[in-house]
Parts: sequence; C-alpha cells; structure tokens
Amino acid sequence: MDHPIPTPLSPATPEDAGPIVLALPKGRILSELGPVLARAGIHPAADYADESSRRLRFPTEDPALDVIRVRSFDVATFVAHGAAQIGVCGADVLMEFDYPEIYAPLDLGIGRCRVSVAEPVAATGEDPSRWSRITVATKYPNIAQRHYAARGVQAEIVHLNGAMELAPSMGLAKLIVDLVQTGSTLKANGLRETEVIANVTSRLIVNRTALKTRPEAIGTWIARFRAALAERDAR
Amino acid sequence: MTDDLPNPALLPAGLADLLPPDAEREAALVEAMMGVFASHGYERVKPPLLEFEDSLLAGSGAAVAEQTFRLMDPVSQRMMGLRADTTPQVARIAATRLGAQARPLRLCYAGQVLRVRGTQLAPSRQLPQVGVELIGGAAPAADGEIAVVAVEALAAVGVAGVSLDVTLPTMVPALLDAAGVDPVLRTRLARALDRKDSAAVAALVQGQDAALAVLPGLMAATGPADGALAALEAAALPESAQAIAENAAAVLAAIAARAPGLRITLDPVEFRGFRYHTGVAFTIYGPGMSGELARGGRYVSQNDEPATGMSLYPDAVLRAAPVMAPKPRLFLPVGADGAAFRAEGFATVAALAPDDTPQRLRCTHELRDGAPVPVVTKD
Repeated sequence: MDHPIPTPLSPATPEDAGPIVLALPKGRILSELGPVLARAGIHPAADYADESSRRLRFPTEDPALDVIRVRSFDVATFVAHGAAQIGVCGADVLMEFDYPEIYAPLDLGIGRCRVSVAEPVAATGEDPSRWSRITVATKYPNIAQRHYAARGVQAEIVHLNGAMELAPSMGLAKLIVDLVQTGSTLKANGLRETEVIANVTSRLIVNRTALKTRPEAIGTWIARFRAALAERDAR
Repeated sequence: MTDDLPNPALLPAGLADLLPPDAEREAALVEAMMGVFASHGYERVKPPLLEFEDSLLAGSGAAVAEQTFRLMDPVSQRMMGLRADTTPQVARIAATRLGAQARPLRLCYAGQVLRVRGTQLAPSRQLPQVGVELIGGAAPAADGEIAVVAVEALAAVGVAGVSLDVTLPTMVPALLDAAGVDPVLRTRLARALDRKDSAAVAALVQGQDAALAVLPGLMAATGPADGALAALEAAALPESAQAIAENAAAVLAAIAARAPGLRITLDPVEFRGFRYHTGVAFTIYGPGMSGELARGGRYVSQNDEPATGMSLYPDAVLRAAPVMAPKPRLFLPVGADGAAFRAEGFATVAALAPDDTPQRLRCTHELRDGAPVPVVTKD
C-alpha cells in the first residue's frame, strides 16, 4: 500500500487535548487579516499584531484556540507537521511546497499579488525558445523549476531570500521569479514584469490529520471563516 | 587539504539504528500484531527483499516505482528492485505459487521496506511494514474484515481510540464520467476537490450536469460516518455512483457490526493519495495527533483478482503505543543459578567478574537471602 504520511510528533497525546492552534503569517497579511479574524470571532491577545512584541504564541478569548505568529513560509510547515491545525498563508507558499498534508479549503481574498517573471528593461533580445537553460534568482526554486521545465528549459536556481531585484543587474542571474504586488520595486530597479506565473491570494489551510480526526472542531472553524467572508463580501 | 574524516556514527540520510529499548519494543509490537492476524486465519508469507523489477512494479507496485531502489543482478543480468512496498510481492505469490489454492486467500507479512527518498514530514528511508491481504474475496464483508482486523491488531498493542477514515476514491471519477465533463473543467474540479475548496466546487458545478450538483453536498457531509452516509443516501446519484454508495454503506455496516465502538469518519469525495484503489479505501489515524498508523483498501491483484488489504506502519504505531515497562533485570552473582527467576519473568544478568556490580550492569533487582529485591540506588 502507499506509504502513510505520519505526523512526527512523538508522544501520543490524549484525544482533543489542548487547544486548536491557528498559525498566522507575520507582516503585510497580518493587518489585512485583522477584520476577517474579528468577524470570525477570533480576538487574540492585543499584542499579536504588534511586530515588536517578543511573544510568539498568543491566547485568544476562546480558550480552545491559540494563535501563533510565524513567517509566511513557516505557516505551511507548522500546519503540514500538525503543530498548528489551521493557518493562513499565501497560495505562493502552497505552490512552492506542495505538502500532501495540507488542505486549502478557503480563499480569503486578501493579500492579492502574483508570482511573476521579471527581467531587465534593457533586455538582450534573446529568443527564449532557443534556451536550454536559464539562471533564475528566486526564493521559489520549485515554482521556477517547474515553470521552466514545462517549457523544456532547465532552470539553474540562485536561491535568495530577499533583494531578488538586485540579481540581474549584478550578474547573479538573467531573470528573477518573485512575488509582485504593485511592480514599483521592479521598476525602481530597472526590471519589468514579463510573465505572470500565478495569481496569489491568502488561503485558509488545515492539517489533514486534524480534519480527519477532529472533523467537528475544525469544520466549525472553517464555517466561521466562511461566514466571515460572506459577511464581508455582502457589504 | 582540510578534509575532515567522516564521523563513523553518521548514517546515510533517512536511516537509523534502533537501540534498546526501542528495537525490542518494535519487534514485540510486530509479533503481537502478527499474532492477531494469525488468530484470524491470516497465514504468514515471507517474500525476499529483492526481486526482479518487472514483478515488483506490476499492478499496485507501479505507485511506488519511483521510490524503488534498483540494482543489476550480476547473475541473471536483469534489473532487480528492493521492495518499497510488500503488497505487490504478496499479490505475486497469490497469483503464482498459491494460484491453485482455493479463494479467498488470507495472507499476512512483516518486513522492512526501503524507499529512495524520504520527505521533510517522513524522513525515514527504511520503514517496517506489517500487513494483511485478503485475495479473492469480493464481498463488502471482506473489506469490513480487513478494517476490523487492523483495528484489533492496534488494540492488541495498546493503541486504543483510533479513528478509521473511509474514503471512496472511485466516487469522484464516477460522477465526472457520468456528467461527461470536458477535460478543462475536470482538472479544475479535481483540483478544487483535492484542496477541499468548497466555494470553488460550488462555483464550478453551477449550471453543469445534474450528476455534479451533488458534489458540494457530499463535500459538506464529510465527517462522522453516520451523517456522511445519510447525505450519500439522500443524494440523487447516477447509477454508477449509486453502486459505489451502496457498497460503502454495506462495508460500513459490516464494520459497525463487528466493531461497534469504533470511531469512523467517511469522506466520499477524497481521492488524494489513493492511486490504484478500486473500491473503499481506509486510513487509520492514531489518537490525538499521532498521525496515520495504517492505510489500505480494495484493489485489483494480479490476474485481475479482486483483493483488499491493509498495511500498518510499526514505527508510527510505536509512537502512538504506550510505553510498556521493561523486563526487570536481576543481578546474578558469580556462580548463582537464574533459571527459576527467568521463569518468573526476570531478565537475569550474570556477573562475569568479581567487580561486576548490579549498578554497573544496570540491574533493577539483586538477590538477598536467595530472593530478588529492588536495587537501592545511592545518590
């Protein structure tokens, strides 16, 4: 039979022990998320949105729900491992990791942006259909590799965690694959967006094991988020 | 050159030494589960670690082809594979050497499997695997038996409170076929169903064939088996899907009759991770967050024989099982005879030299006036 996907948390905990943990991404998304959380009836301790707070785990008014604040990429990791049962992260992160342990039942419609290819405005006029390989600077090695593999080009990845926009002008890579919101950072660095790989919004994600073994509790939270979105969109 | 010598303790990625007491616990756990299988009439087979890749990767083996280590047999000059899954080997045995035996055939196995790559979530590349296969039993009763026997094996090693998730991997394809949807919509629906994105599913089936209109309802019904089954029965299903639903109801009834207290969930629209299953499929989740302990379901064995089976993963079971008290270790001074104490359940540890002490030999008991008493540890 297929190999199971164990959730490697060592000791067996008694069922339904402990609160459900909701993982939220730091930064830009967090402020957009505030109204959605409030409508879903989630009121974390006041300092959760304060980036200077040193606390990482926050209780909420509901004793059965705790909130943790981690980097966007790490939300998916926490949820995939079952350390957090639900979370909010961008579709870009889900595309990059493609964890079989994660379901993404709700599109929250916030944090709109796109994963795009960008290259120097002063392009060399090369014909991309003649490429057999291309150097790409990105924090999304899997997305970039898949994108170019689909068109028969081997992407040679320069893995950066930030300031991708510097890479082409400094000779690190011919082009970049990065998250683009308004495109102003690209423009300021002499780049132009040439191709949109995927449009991105934030998703509510849930851990597969949690959904299967605690369907009532997890189902209730999904329903509350869904109702919050319906209420927001009705206005 | 500044090459550091490799540390001799370093093993290749995904491989581990199992030390005391875990190695003993795992072996005891495997034998206890195999004992339950044997008591239900499942006979043990022991296929080899290596065999020719064409037989190893046939049928259900195709699903693990890319996870199979291969090497050339210098004797026959043919390609061999190191098993990544035991089920195809049991299917081969059933179709060949046990082909003449009357059906249904009940077989069980225990062994190690290897895979090329671990994942971040499950880094092991060598896993123990135990399992049961019921070949040639087409009735829902066969599926029910497999699930109940697996749950009983887990209970025998102290893993109680498991949750059985029943999925119907053929349901969504049957509905899509009945509706005759175009490939583009099919892909988009499959993606939305796979993510459990109910809003997208609802939007996609809007204005489509009536066979698809049941999808949002079936998705919402996912959960405890009684409710999900009621929704399945109430839904207006096309004929092919109706047969799948009726079979699922029969399997669930068979399980409920034999294991009344078992927590069962039903997900009629799940197909993630079940690539070769042709009927009901099972996943057993451990209590709390201990994760998946077993996986299985109905498939087509070699020679097109209907079959059903379940694989259990002792490494995952070990994490979910309570820690049993180790055998007490009794210190035997030089010359003492321990046979009577071993019969009582002690592990006797004989001193080989006069300066061996109970503490050095990690004994829990020592003899005083010929009787075992707990060792007093000095702080």
